[in-house]
Formats: sequence, C-alpha cells, structure tokens
Amino acid sequence: MLKKRGSQGDKGSKLEFGLFTLPVILCITIAFYIPFLMTIRYSLTKWNGISKHPKFVGLDNFKQILLGDANFAHAAWFTVKYAILYIVLVNVLAILLALVLDMKLKSSAWLRAAFFIPYILSLVIVGFIWKFIFMQGFESLGNSTGWGIFQLSWLGQEGLAFISILAVSIWQSIGFYMVIYIAGLQSVPEDLKEAAIVDGAGPIRRFFSITLPLLAPSITISVFMALTNSIKVFDVILSLTGGGPGGTTYSIAYDIYRDTFQNNLYGYGTAKALLLFVAVLIITIIQLSIFKRREVEA
Amino acid sequence: MQRRRMGRILLEAGMIVLSLLFLYPLFLAINNSFKSFAEVMTDVIALPKQLSLDNYVYVWKFINYPRLFLNNTIITIVGLAGIVLVSSIAAYKLARTKSKWSSAIYMLCIMPMLIPFQSIMLTVLRLAKDLHLADSTWGLGLLYWGFGAPLAVFIYHGFVKGIPNEIDESAKIDGASGFRLFFSVIFPLLKSVTATIVIIDVMWIWNDFLLPLLMVNGSPSTKTLTLAAYTFVGQYTSDWQYAMTAMVMAVLPSIVVFIFLQKYIVKGVVAGAVKG
Repeated sequence: MLKKRGSQGDKGSKLEFGLFTLPVILCITIAFYIPFLMTIRYSLTKWNGISKHPKFVGLDNFKQILLGDANFAHAAWFTVKYAILYIVLVNVLAILLALVLDMKLKSSAWLRAAFFIPYILSLVIVGFIWKFIFMQGFESLGNSTGWGIFQLSWLGQEGLAFISILAVSIWQSIGFYMVIYIAGLQSVPEDLKEAAIVDGAGPIRRFFSITLPLLAPSITISVFMALTNSIKVFDVILSLTGGGPGGTTYSIAYDIYRDTFQNNLYGYGTAKALLLFVAVLIITIIQLSIFKRREVEA
Repeated sequence: MQRRRMGRILLEAGMIVLSLLFLYPLFLAINNSFKSFAEVMTDVIALPKQLSLDNYVYVWKFINYPRLFLNNTIITIVGLAGIVLVSSIAAYKLARTKSKWSSAIYMLCIMPMLIPFQSIMLTVLRLAKDLHLADSTWGLGLLYWGFGAPLAVFIYHGFVKGIPNEIDESAKIDGASGFRLFFSVIFPLLKSVTATIVIIDVMWIWNDFLLPLLMVNGSPSTKTLTLAAYTFVGQYTSDWQYAMTAMVMAVLPSIVVFIFLQKYIVKGVVAGAVKG
C-alpha cells in the first residue's frame, strides 16, 4: 500500500518535473540548439542563401578561412588587439574611478550616476553620437581651443580609428565596471584598512597589499565580462566607422556579418561563425580553469 | 588635518569637472538637436539661438515615434514576462530535484551562455522565418524567451538553493503542491532576484540592436527605436540636426527611467554581474 502510493507520487513528481522544465527547454532549443546545429550543417556547404539546395563542400570553407582569407586574419588581429587593450584599460580606469568614488565624497551618489549613464544607452546610438562629435564637434572644439588634437582625423586614419573605437567603447561601459568595483571595495573590511594604517602602511602599500587582493573576486568577474563583450564587438563599429577607413576596423563579428548578410556567402559566413564559437569556448575554458585554480589557492 | 581637507575638496572638484567632461558628448547631442542645419554646420558647441522643437516634430512624425515606442514596449514586456516565468519555474524545479536528469538539463540550460550570438544569427533568422516569428513585434518578444533564459535560469538556480527546503515541505503539508506551491509560496520569495533579472533584461531588450535588425527590419511599422534611429541616420547622413534629434528621442526613455530608478538599477546590475 505504502509502496504503491510512493510510486504514484514518483510518477506525479516526474510529470511535474516535466511540466516545470519543458517550456524552458523548448525556448532554449529554438533559440540556440537548433540554430547551432543548422550552423554546423551550413558551415559545410557553399550556399548563396537563395538556391534551395546548398552544395556540400566538406571542410573547404574552413580550409579557405584559415589558409587564405586576409579579411578574416585582419579582423581576428583587430579583435585580439582590441580585446586586450579594452580589458586592461577599462578595468584599470574603472578601479581608479571606484577608489575615488568609494571615498565618501559629498557628491559621490551624483558622480556614480554620471559615470554610469552611458551604460544604459544603446551602443549603436552611442556610436552615432560620437561619430557626430568626431566629424562635426571636433572641428568646433579645435577652432575654439586651438588644440591640435581636435584637428586629427579620428575616424579617417587607421590607427586613430582604432583608438576612437576603443575609447568610445570604454566611455560607454566604464560605469558598469566601476559599480562592480565599488561593490567589491565596500566588502573590504574597515578594520583591515585601519590595522594597516596603524602598522604604518602608506596609501600605495595599502592598495597593493590589502585592497587589490581583496578585490580579486570583482576583478575576476570584470575581466570575464570585458573579455566576452570585447570578443563580440560589433554595434559600436557599425555605427562609428562602418568598418572604415578602407576596411581596417572590421572585427570578427563584423566580418561574419558582412560575409553572410552583405556578400551573401551564407555557408562561408557560418563557417567563420563556428570558428568564433570555438575560439570563445577555448578562451572561456582557459579563463575559468585559471580562476578556479586561483580561488582554490586563496 | 587642514591639508587633508583641502586635498579632499580639490579631489571632489576635480571629479565633478571630470564627470561633466564625461557627459559632455551627451550634452552636445541634446544641444544640437535644437539647432537648424546651418547652425549645426557653423558651430557645434554654441548654444541654439532659439529653443525650437521643429526637429523633434519632424522626427516624431517621420519615424512614427508613438508606434516605435509601443513596439519597444511590447517586445520588452513580452520578452520579460516569458523569461521570468519560464526560467524561474524551471530553475526552481532543477534546484530542488537531485537527479542525473536534473543536472543534465541544468547544464543544457546554461551552456548557451557560451554561444556568441553572431555564431547563430543567420540560422536563428531562418528558423524564425520558418516559425513565422520574424517580421513581428510579438514574435521578436517570444524569441527573447530563449535568448534570456540561460542567464535567468543560472541566477534563479543559485538563488533557489539558498531558500530552505523546509518552506516547500511545510507548504506541502498545508496541501499546496505543484504550480500552487510555486506561485503562492516560492515566487514571492524570489522577488529580489526577479527585480535583478528584470533590470538587466529591460536594459538589454530595450537597447538590443542586432536581433531586431535581423528580425523586424522589414517594414517601418515593426521597427524598434534603436533600429529606426539607425536607419534614419542611414538616410540622413549629413542632416546631423535630425540625426541627433532621433538619437536623443531614442535614448530619452532610458535616461528618464534611469533617473527615477537609479538606485535599483545599479543594485540590480551589480547583483546580476556578481551572480553571472
């Protein structure tokens, strides 16, 4: 009798398990897994998106991308450079900002809000606003200040366009990293800092021996977020430089977008997309294992 | 002591100047949205000669602002409601069930966080067309259910583990089970984490660009604010006064919401990032 009731309850809970989890499985399968499998399939074909039957070409796309695609190599190099500089600069600057704003200044609340505001704006729009400033605003600023820095062609020269993209992305997102670091700083116990002051440690020593190590969890999160976001950089380039001058500011994501939707190389573009996924996967695994190891030590 | 206070005041003043410089680009955008074409061309930094709303009236009509605003609202609400409902209920069950199936499904749910959207954008578009979800605001809202679910499941899952199992058990003894237990006992307990997810996802869906560009770029009536601003600038590349007006109109709702809910938004973003 008892056993029977038990098995009935078991059946009931299995049904309930299914009812609770099926919707999410369905949604995620439609959003990710089916498209992902289709991507794998198309990456093995030559296809212009119009013909009914994509032509199977095996691994040809991959061979061509890795051996003979200058655009892809250039875009990959652009993305790597961008990612490294973005991760380092946005985190260092955000820590500096957070340190200052953590010192209970009278205007702290206002200042935090001010630095956070660009983060709530869409990157495409941020790109256009800055394009306007680089193209029109700098001229007026140059005329009124006489500074040569405003006379440079910030979107028209390869090196400068790269710096512009980097600066605009940092401008847009620094507030996000800043609030993560402020939250991290607030969890540093006061008595530790006081003890260090009593022991005679100066501000710089205190920062490197106490604050920074205790900030490690925030750094882990921020670097991880900065990395995932910078590998996928797209929106800001689209609206700020459109890939120019002379196609020098294409990121991998932009290159994929261009191949698939502008050049109609659907098979080829999806093969690139798959390579991007593999790269992201490898980087994530490496990063997670490094941080796991460090956490165990700490 | 006197010197330290002086230092503080200088630092504070310096920070205020820095923050004003930091926001200056936004000020320039607003400033030029009130100017005529000739004024923009002669001097970008000068203030407008008169405060005219002509640009706003023009853009409002041209892009059919109320319609776009409604589209954004529909997409965001549909997307959000689905993400919260579907993810919270699944995360709760997955956190409470200890079995191989449960952990496998959990992995299945959070793995997509590793898949960059650009890797699947073409095939998502094709699939959405086959499922008749493309070219429709409602369809786009529905698509966000799946795209938002992995992070939401992840955050909810972590949170549910912190809710003692005794609560479920006592509710079961009182006769509640299944959906009843979830909606009247558990879901209210998830309030703070739901707020976090709502904030992160509203910011994301409201401002998203690539997915709307692929899905609802077909007709002017299905566009979103950001998308319309993007196409508008494409058509009026040199009419910067209109372009800036469109930009300001597209970002204004976000800024207004941020000013009112500032504290919660920052808190929610921090909570979400720390969990994620």
